[in-house]
Amino acid sequence: MKNIIKILVLLFLVTGCQDVFTPEIENIRGLDAMHQEPTYAQGILANAYILLPYSNSPNSDLATDDAVTNDFENDYLSMATGSWSSDNNPTSQWQGRRNAIQYLNIFLANADDVVWAKDEVIRTMFNDRLKGEAYGLRALQMYHLLLSHGGWTEDGRLLGVPIVTEPEDKDSEFNVPRNTFQECVEQIMADIDKALELLPLDYGDVSDSEVPQKYQELGVTNASDYNRVNGNHMRGRISGRIVEAVRSQVALLAASPSYTDGTEMTWEDAANYAAIVLDRINGVSGMDDDGWTWFANTGEIDGLGSGVTPAEIIWRSDISQSNDLETDNFPPSQYGNGRVNPTQNLVDAFPMANGYPINHPSSNFDASSPYDNRDPRLTNYIVINESTQGPNDAVVVTGTYGDNEDAINRESGLSTRTGYYLRKLLRSDCNPNPEYDTEQKHYTARIRYTEIFLAYAEAANEAWGPTGTGGNGYSAYDVIGALRQRAGVGNGNGDPYLDEVAGSKDQMRELIRNERRLELCFENHRFWDLRRWNVELNKLNETALGMQIAETGGGKEYETIDVEPRMYKDYMYHGPIPYQEILKWDNLEQNAGWN
Amino acid sequence: MKHIQIGFILFASFVLLPFFIKAQTTAENETDTIDKVKQDTLVQVAFREVAKSNLLGGVSVVDVEDLMNKNYHTYSLENMEGYIGGWNGNLLWGMDDRLVLIDGVPRDADNVLPSEIEDITFLKGASAVVLYGSRAAKGVIYITTKRGKAQPLQVNVRVNTGFHVSKSYPKYLNSAEYMTLYNEALVNDGRDPLYSQEDIYNHASGSNPYRYPNVDFYSSDYLQKAYNRTDILTELVGGNERAQYYTNIGYYRQGDFLNFGEAANNYDERLNVRGNVDVKLNDFIDAYINANATFYTSRGINYTDSDPDDDENVDNYWTYAASMRPNRIAPLVPLSYIDGNALSALSLVNNSSNIIDGKYFLAGTQVDNKNVFADSYAGGYNKWKNRQFQFDTGIDFDLQNFLQGLSFHTQFAVDYATSFTSAYENEYAVYIPRWYNYNGDDVIGELEKEGNDEKSGNPDFSDENYRQTIAFSGWFDYSTTVNNNHNISAVLVATGYQQAESGVYHNTANANLGLQLSYNFKNKYYTDLAGAIVHSAKFAEGNRNAFSPSVTLGWRMGQENFLSNSSVIDDLILSVSGSVLHTDMSIDGHYEYAGSFNQSDGAWWGWYDGAAERSTNAIQGENEDLTFIKRKELSANLRTSLWKNTINADASFFMNSMEGMVTQPMGLYPNYFFTYYPEASFVPNVNYNNDQRMGIDFSVNYNKDLGDVDLTLGVSGTYYTTEATRRDDTNYEYDYQKRQGKAVDGIWGLESAGFFQNQSDIDNSPTQTFGGTVKPGDIKYVDQNNDNVIDSRDEVFLGKGGWYGNPFTLGVNVTAKWDNLTFFVLGTGYFGAYAMKDDNYHWVYGDRKYSEVVRGRWTEETKGSATYPRLTTQSGSNNFRNSDFWLYSTDRFNIAKVQITYDIPKSLLQNIFFKELSAYVSGSNLLTISPERETLEMEVTNAPQTRFYNLGVKAVF
Repeated sequence: MKNIIKILVLLFLVTGCQDVFTPEIENIRGLDAMHQEPTYAQGILANAYILLPYSNSPNSDLATDDAVTNDFENDYLSMATGSWSSDNNPTSQWQGRRNAIQYLNIFLANADDVVWAKDEVIRTMFNDRLKGEAYGLRALQMYHLLLSHGGWTEDGRLLGVPIVTEPEDKDSEFNVPRNTFQECVEQIMADIDKALELLPLDYGDVSDSEVPQKYQELGVTNASDYNRVNGNHMRGRISGRIVEAVRSQVALLAASPSYTDGTEMTWEDAANYAAIVLDRINGVSGMDDDGWTWFANTGEIDGLGSGVTPAEIIWRSDISQSNDLETDNFPPSQYGNGRVNPTQNLVDAFPMANGYPINHPSSNFDASSPYDNRDPRLTNYIVINESTQGPNDAVVVTGTYGDNEDAINRESGLSTRTGYYLRKLLRSDCNPNPEYDTEQKHYTARIRYTEIFLAYAEAANEAWGPTGTGGNGYSAYDVIGALRQRAGVGNGNGDPYLDEVAGSKDQMRELIRNERRLELCFENHRFWDLRRWNVELNKLNETALGMQIAETGGGKEYETIDVEPRMYKDYMYHGPIPYQEILKWDNLEQNAGWN
Repeated sequence: MKHIQIGFILFASFVLLPFFIKAQTTAENETDTIDKVKQDTLVQVAFREVAKSNLLGGVSVVDVEDLMNKNYHTYSLENMEGYIGGWNGNLLWGMDDRLVLIDGVPRDADNVLPSEIEDITFLKGASAVVLYGSRAAKGVIYITTKRGKAQPLQVNVRVNTGFHVSKSYPKYLNSAEYMTLYNEALVNDGRDPLYSQEDIYNHASGSNPYRYPNVDFYSSDYLQKAYNRTDILTELVGGNERAQYYTNIGYYRQGDFLNFGEAANNYDERLNVRGNVDVKLNDFIDAYINANATFYTSRGINYTDSDPDDDENVDNYWTYAASMRPNRIAPLVPLSYIDGNALSALSLVNNSSNIIDGKYFLAGTQVDNKNVFADSYAGGYNKWKNRQFQFDTGIDFDLQNFLQGLSFHTQFAVDYATSFTSAYENEYAVYIPRWYNYNGDDVIGELEKEGNDEKSGNPDFSDENYRQTIAFSGWFDYSTTVNNNHNISAVLVATGYQQAESGVYHNTANANLGLQLSYNFKNKYYTDLAGAIVHSAKFAEGNRNAFSPSVTLGWRMGQENFLSNSSVIDDLILSVSGSVLHTDMSIDGHYEYAGSFNQSDGAWWGWYDGAAERSTNAIQGENEDLTFIKRKELSANLRTSLWKNTINADASFFMNSMEGMVTQPMGLYPNYFFTYYPEASFVPNVNYNNDQRMGIDFSVNYNKDLGDVDLTLGVSGTYYTTEATRRDDTNYEYDYQKRQGKAVDGIWGLESAGFFQNQSDIDNSPTQTFGGTVKPGDIKYVDQNNDNVIDSRDEVFLGKGGWYGNPFTLGVNVTAKWDNLTFFVLGTGYFGAYAMKDDNYHWVYGDRKYSEVVRGRWTEETKGSATYPRLTTQSGSNNFRNSDFWLYSTDRFNIAKVQITYDIPKSLLQNIFFKELSAYVSGSNLLTISPERETLEMEVTNAPQTRFYNLGVKAVF
């Protein structure tokens, strides 16, 4: 019997006592592990990339006059129709951006102690690049914080966010006031300067003689050492060129009407920072002819080498094979969910092919055939009634006479609410039909040259007038002319409308803004552009319209319908500071109007 | 699979054991037929049995073996609130967890049937569970299974068969009414009606339900009125002085409501074999072996997943019944409707492998290209199988040779549970009919195929899980009486167990040392000291041990001179306990104290179209001080027996405080210290929240012989309140929002103020900021903070949710015996809790299916009498959110059980081979009495609640 007891006790011991007395070993590690382990250290920096504020699909556009969604549960829909508040804010960047900055601060505080490579010189090069990335990313994250949270207080000060450049821990003082917007801009510019000092303009393999002077002086003679750090295989990470583009974005924001009174940034600065980016491609002459259909240049996308960017693209995401965007946005007959529905407001913003706005006396616009002779961008960006979509070029009838779910308002949650479906960003050679489920390559365009061209045009027009160049070799007029020309607007007639507005800075401003609206539509710009421009409240609240098309004995009847109101208050030009944070930290001041 | 083999071998060798014993022993014990007097006065408590009269409170017991003679039931803990206080249906004293021990080993309460149980002890008070350690700190349900007896082989057989009959079905609107009201909703949203009058008429007329469907999920086409449950059970009991054995073999099978396609073959079945042997090895060593094997099989059909992105959602017939609108599709369309000249359509459909009953094809649309009906006809089926093997053994040493009254006991257990699903998953095509009308007849001119028929030849295996439990206990027990007056006893325990589960890295574990010292003087004055050193590997070194003490004092007043001669009071015992228990329950992980970073669970990001790395993330901030949660408790108990046992009563008062519950107090840190993706946090885990519970429980039994009738009436109940005594409330600006000071199970929401009656009403009211345009017929809310805006800050405490048991639980049982006839009634009541009518039956918006509730909708004409907001096809986010508009009281009283049992008189049995024979009929869940009966009895997205009518026979051979 004693033996039995022994056996029982033994059995119990042998079968293990994990977690009874001591916990089973888990891979619990501290921060200091990063010093000896470069991969682990880079993982800290990785957070700032993972948390990048870019979306591959239109979100904030759904809260503007450009689009609505047929998903009634969508946060941006609720936001546009009255639910935007400091504790219900889908555009909030506070958590994501500041979390990224926390990781970047940890990274920067430790980078010098990390053994990136055994060779000291290579270690220096690694350290330079990675810190350069961190500074560049911190500037970028900060820019998006300013965009979403910078604003005027009740007592008339323009504030940004608290500037934090050191890692915080559970014992840090969190109850700190917001820095001014200008201080934030200065902080960004300082980070950008450091980043530009440390980062190469582009990543790429070089020959021995092309190794940068500063590294040659350290003794790097063999290009392969340099290429190991900054070569082709680093493409896609933030580079000097990208940081310059971010600087242009920051400058444009700070110089804009809604912010200019609280900053020292001028339109001239904004134009010049944009010109630095554009001069890298020789200005207007470097504009990519196919840049306006970047998402649909299938040959170009499919043929892209690893990390290579098309001429249009300053920064893009990795290529992914998918049909998610098409599943979301194709018309239901093409097995999509018809999510993003462009508005009539946007459709009306496309000029005629002759360059005149549709309400211009010379436009020859015919309301009974409203889609004829229009700016080619219209049908390249938007699926209109009886145009085709999908791998089989099926005709999509959005008119009420259609016999399937593509018809306007036919099937809630699938059919368009406006009479239009999204075409931009999508590839028609995808097939979401579950039977085939064909996927294609896509990338997200994070920053395009077109955006910087438009930033230049906007700033140059304000700084030097429509045709002034400020010494940059090209004017707002030149840029806008080139953008319209490549899209096929005014090509047959020399774009007389452009010349018509070139005489007036105000008229030119309207044209530039409209071009920006068209070129950058569905890329999450307009929501903040409208606010940056400080447009009238009734413009922010322009009702989203749709087009209901009926068939009457051979002809068609076009009726503009109200689809969805926009219900913004007069203080909703700047996003709020999160309510909970205001409650927690009484030194944080809220933007005017929000509570 | 290896575990299963081991289980089988152990098991097979074991089941045969009783027969050997029998063979050996019957000869020598032929005359030993005296039934052991049932020691109903001994109650199983932690590591010992105590005479019921000496119990000091916080413990209740139900004699299941006895109960089964008058109330045949099928789940071990079914309606236990009907007999004892302190148990509120699923939990003890309103706490949020409990430990179930079956024969001392942590096991599942649903893996032991009442027919296998002798009794169940509910150890509620902290003083009663202290010896079990950390995992038992929120109460223990100790289930004791039946054992053998020193008697010749006795065979008990029980057979039951009965029918589950649904109580009620949700009431959804038919196609025509749905379409009419959907049109109204569209108009409300400022849009044109979608369905034409002709369309609606066609759906209403029913002349061609294939072209104009009107699908009713609850019709007899798809459901049968009742389904059967049958079980059979055999027990073998016997033994002699040296060895006793018990074997229980049971089987049950039950069907399903669905009666079409493959679903008509759905069933659940369970086979179990349980057995145990007690052996007296010599004068001072006893040993026992217990074993149990259970085999569950559940057959069902494969349902189309309605939302593949959502891992949480589980679809079945009832979820589709609650969401698929009646006018969408006719699932089956007769082939005869296809135009004879439509050759391409005919050849297409003739290639289908799913022609149902030789005359229907599966129909659909491009959007609805799968449906739950076709799933049943063509989607294949699956079987879920679960096998459990449980094995435990123990040895009891009588150590009186060393010291009179000393004994040592040891128990060791190994359990395995495995489960998996095998499925034959088939794909199928549906056909989209294009209808035409020729000379007044509807015909199908064209068919379009959507999807493909694919039959799977081999089963797919999935959901493979296993769980292993190992438990060990050893304890010394000492008891002695000195000078006939001083009763002393002590227990010293070392116990531990661990559970390993597939897919879970860490084991659940418990280890502790316990000591209990009891003394009473003349069974009159009691003191009881207990303590346990509990150990948990979940805390930092230095914090892994804690001491849980408990003190109980008792006074048998009934023995005092001033009461001992009372004609009223037979006995009266009063006790008071104070305890501090330490537990690591509800601390999910290990290393929650460690400040840590981690890259192995990081998120990926990529560049260079192929290079990738993972993020290194903060997992949590450091808090080396993280420690046990404390249950501090004060309780008092009163037990009495009056008028010569006519009334027995037991009542407890309890007040406990759970202190230092672990949270990440976000209110103390900025929100960017935390991200969902990558899932990361710089915030430490802190012992922060405190909860207080206070209440009373009672059970009173009244026994009376009324002439021929022997009547027993029992009433039991639990009433308790809770308060969140400490919370991180930084996130709340206004006092009425603060969680601290409120019940821990609060339902929070807006206070409604009727419907907006017109636009000026809206214009003159605070702005309601939930998105969407607010219109007349929408719910108006009260502006609590007077900021002229209605938002989430206006949410107030609406009522208790009763998540840990209703504030007041009541049980009533009546037994009347008249000759051989026994009549039993059980009632249960639940009061004081509220719930939200927030399912998709009551919250109808967008494209949801329309139920009867929308008939009371607000319209311009019915504005005075409307009971439901205006209809909308949009998200209705203003109306469909938590508010007292949707709140309802769940107060109810149930007639849970009625059973009539007839024991055939023994005199009639004398010449046949039965020793006992009885028959019974019963009805379960018969009646709910409540103002909200309809809501409480209705299941949306689940199989209907049922009444169960059973007929049973029990025979003893």
